[in-house]
Amino acid sequence: MDAKQLDPILNNRGSEPYEIMEVLQDIQDLYGFLPEPALRAASASLGVPLIEVFRLANFYKAFSLKPRGRHLLTVCNGTACHVKGAPRLLDELMARLNIAPGETTADEAFTLETVNCLGACALGPVIVVDGVYYEHMDPSKLDGLLETVRSRDRELVPHA
Amino acid sequence: MPRMVTITVDGARILTPEGSNVLEAALEAGICIPNLCHVPGVTPLGACRVCVVEIIENGRRRLTASCTLEARDGMVIEAHSENVMRARRNIVELLLAEAPNSRAIQDLAARVGVTECRYPMRNNTCVLCGRCVRVCDEIWQSKSLGLVGRGPSRRVALPFDVRPDLCKRCNNCIQVCPMTITPCPGPLTEPAICARCESQTSMVENIPDTCVMCELGRGFQCARWQLKGLDARA
Ligand code: SF4
Ligand code: SF4
Ligand code: FES
Ligand code: FES
Repeated sequence: MDAKQLDPILNNRGSEPYEIMEVLQDIQDLYGFLPEPALRAASASLGVPLIEVFRLANFYKAFSLKPRGRHLLTVCNGTACHVKGAPRLLDELMARLNIAPGETTADEAFTLETVNCLGACALGPVIVVDGVYYEHMDPSKLDGLLETVRSRDRELVPHA
Repeated sequence: MPRMVTITVDGARILTPEGSNVLEAALEAGICIPNLCHVPGVTPLGACRVCVVEIIENGRRRLTASCTLEARDGMVIEAHSENVMRARRNIVELLLAEAPNSRAIQDLAARVGVTECRYPMRNNTCVLCGRCVRVCDEIWQSKSLGLVGRGPSRRVALPFDVRPDLCKRCNNCIQVCPMTITPCPGPLTEPAICARCESQTSMVENIPDTCVMCELGRGFQCARWQLKGLDARA
């Protein structure tokens, strides 16, 4: 973590305690997760007790305290997607990536997560990759999907 | 002098300062409303629901926690109706299933007359009453602890799970915790209802509605003992 990058966030956002949510969002965007030193700095700078910062970081699903991969795969396991076969998709993805939901692959390429309904039940089962919705998924489409993301990743990180 | 309001609890008219909560008003007047998460002098949280009562408004009855219920003039409360007793037993039964290893919870079960537990016993180490958190925050002005996470992953935690510099090492969080009182004749070999306090349990049938400053209440750190300024610890 490069602490210098944090300064603009803390300076631009001012120093009022109520700005903590915006600061946390910016930190999440900057590093892809919430590093402990950054949260300690935010807590001191805004005058919000560390436990409150920790509580917020734990409360919202949009925040992560662990480093996340460059690509986020979210499998919807809401009721509709569940009955349309989401558990099967999840199993397949877990086996292919060798991680459980909430975990990140060793090469830091993928983070796998589940969500309980995205409000797009008619499209189910739904998988979201980096914010893009892939509808009516079935296990046979997974290899293609992962390959698309991997090729995009190779452009992002050529040496990987 | 704060303005006084009159409320009726189980038919008794009670004069209490405006802004006080119904639980404390009743306890001050000697009416027993079993309670667990409430600590006098600290903001009520309403986490355990043990202090459940019925409030009667316009002929309608509604169950609610009494510690978070502000006394208003003319309020009518039933603390020992059939409905309330049933709800309270059920609530305590759930607590007992969570933490049969706590003397406080076992005592509470004895006081409200829980004789069987229909839920699987879990032996948890925390019932999420939030006493520790509020005492740390409000009495010690320390904000070292918090209730972290949502739903089943809710827990009491220190920031990043390490003791922060803010912590004054007063140990008050541990003193007010109902989980720190182990059952009397040593821990039960397997989770069960202990109900060994027979001298005390007879009071459940005979005097359910009057606070008798029971030893059980002392065990579960009932707010009445604290209001009296007595050592709440057994
Ligand atoms: S010992 Fe520390 S955490 Fe516990 S109440 Fe005191 S200041 Fe708070
Ligand atoms: S640790 Fe003890 S006092 Fe704190 S919430 Fe859990 S049971 Fe209550
Ligand atoms: S259940 Fe998946 S979008 Fe609603
Ligand atoms: S909810 Fe009132 S004492 Fe716990």
